Amino acid sequence: MDDKAEQLTDLLAAHLEAGFTELVRVHAGAVHAFLYRVSGSSAEADDLGQDTFLRAYTALREYTPARRRELRPRAWLMTIAANVWRNHVRTRTRRPATAGLPVEETMDVWPDLNPGPEERAATAEDRSRLVTALSALPEHHRIPVVLHHVIGMSYTEVAEVQGCAVGTAKAQVSRGLAGLRRLLAPEPPALKEVTT
Amino acid sequence: MNESDGDAVTRRLPELTTRAPEDFALRVLRRAGISEDHYDTYVRLDTAAGGLFVAASARAVTGAGLDSAGLTATGFEELHRARTGRSAIPGGRPLSGVVPALRTGRAHRLPIDLTGLPEQQRAVLEAVRGIPAGQLRPLSWIAREAGTEAPPSASEVLRALAANPVAVLIPCHRVTHDNGSPCDAAYLPKSGAALRRAEQIDMRRVAELSRAGTVFLGSDTTNIYCHPTCAHARRITPAHRVHFRTAQDAREAGYRACKSCRPITV
Repeated sequence: MDDKAEQLTDLLAAHLEAGFTELVRVHAGAVHAFLYRVSGSSAEADDLGQDTFLRAYTALREYTPARRRELRPRAWLMTIAANVWRNHVRTRTRRPATAGLPVEETMDVWPDLNPGPEERAATAEDRSRLVTALSALPEHHRIPVVLHHVIGMSYTEVAEVQGCAVGTAKAQVSRGLAGLRRLLAPEPPALKEVTT
Repeated sequence: MNESDGDAVTRRLPELTTRAPEDFALRVLRRAGISEDHYDTYVRLDTAAGGLFVAASARAVTGAGLDSAGLTATGFEELHRARTGRSAIPGGRPLSGVVPALRTGRAHRLPIDLTGLPEQQRAVLEAVRGIPAGQLRPLSWIAREAGTEAPPSASEVLRALAANPVAVLIPCHRVTHDNGSPCDAAYLPKSGAALRRAEQIDMRRVAELSRAGTVFLGSDTTNIYCHPTCAHARRITPAHRVHFRTAQDAREAGYRACKSCRPITV
C-alpha cells in the first residue's frame, strides 16, 4: 500500500497526465463512495466526484514536481472532496438538507454473493436505517465517520482532511458514532440527551 | 467511547462502501481533458472459458486476462499497470474487431500491441497468432514459425506461452506438445478445454491419434501430409488416410508437406 502510494506520487511528479490517470484509477472509487455516503445520493456523488477530480487536476497543474511528490494522494483528494461537498451544501439553499431515505438508495446495486431474499430484505432494512441515521448526523460528524469507518482511513488521514489535530478527529468520529447509536436506538432516551 | 468496541454500528458501517458506476473514472478523465494516449480502457467480455478482461489503447489491444483463474478487475488493472506501465480504466467500448474476433476465434488480423516484450517472446506469440481457429499446432511448429535466427527451444516457447499477456486473443490453447497433448501453459486446463471445445476441436480424436503415435496424416491420392487438425487433413476419407509418426517417414514414403498447415519438413 505504502509502496504503491509512493509509486503514484513519483509518477505524478514525473508525468502529470499519466500520474493523474493513475490517481483516478486508484482513488475514483473511494472518492465516489465518500461523496455518496455524505450526500446520500448517487447522482450527486457523481457530479461532485467529477468536480473533485477536475479541481484536483487544476491544482496539480500549478504544483511543482517536488510538491506533487510530497502529496498524500488519498487524504489530499478527500480534503478536496469534503470541501466540494461543504460548498455544495452551502450553496444548496433551494433544497432542504438531506433527510430520510433518498430515492437512489432503493436502486442500490447489490453484490451477487448476497444471501437469500429473506436475509437480504433484513439486511436491506438495517442498511437503510443506518443510511438514514447517517444522513441525520451533522456535517462535522458525518464526514469524519464516513472517512474513518466507511472508507477506512486512519485517524491521521481524517485529521488531515478535517484540518485538525488527530485527537480532535478521534473525538469527532466517536461523537458521530455516539450520535448514530442514539439515532438507531429503539427508543431514544430523550431525557439523557438533555443532560449530556 | 472506545472505537474498537466492535458494536453493530462500527461493524455495519464498512458495508456501506459502494462501487462507483462502471464508467465513473473514464468520465472523470474525459472531463479533465486527459488525452486517450495516456491510458488504456478495458471491458469484460464473455468467452467459452468465462469472462475476459480486454484492455486496449485507441489503436490496438494491449492486454487480456481470463477471470476464471480468480482474476478480479482490480487485479487485472494492477497486472496491466505492472506490465505495460499504463493505467487500465474500466468502461468505454471494446476496440473494434475484438468482439467478432472472440465470436469467430479469428483474431489473426486484430491489432495487438506486444511492445515491451523481449523479441523472442514476441516472435513466439506472433507465431501462435498464426494458428487458424479450430486447429492445433505442436511446439516444434511454433519454434520454426517464430523465425528468429536461432529457433527457440521447447522450454523457451513454453515460457513465452505461459507469459502470454493477451489470453484467448493470442490463442495459446491451440498449442500442443509434440505428442499432441495440449500445453495450456497460460490457462487452467479447464479453460483451455472449454476454448477448444468452443472451436469444435475434437480432442477425443486428437488423443486417439496421439495414442496411436500418429503425428501427421497423409492422403494417398495427393501424396500430401498435414497436421491432423488441418482443414485438408480432416477431409481425407478413411480409405485414403495414411498415418505417419514423423516427417521423415512421410518424406521417405514420397509425401510432401501441406502448404496450408506447413508441417515441419526434414
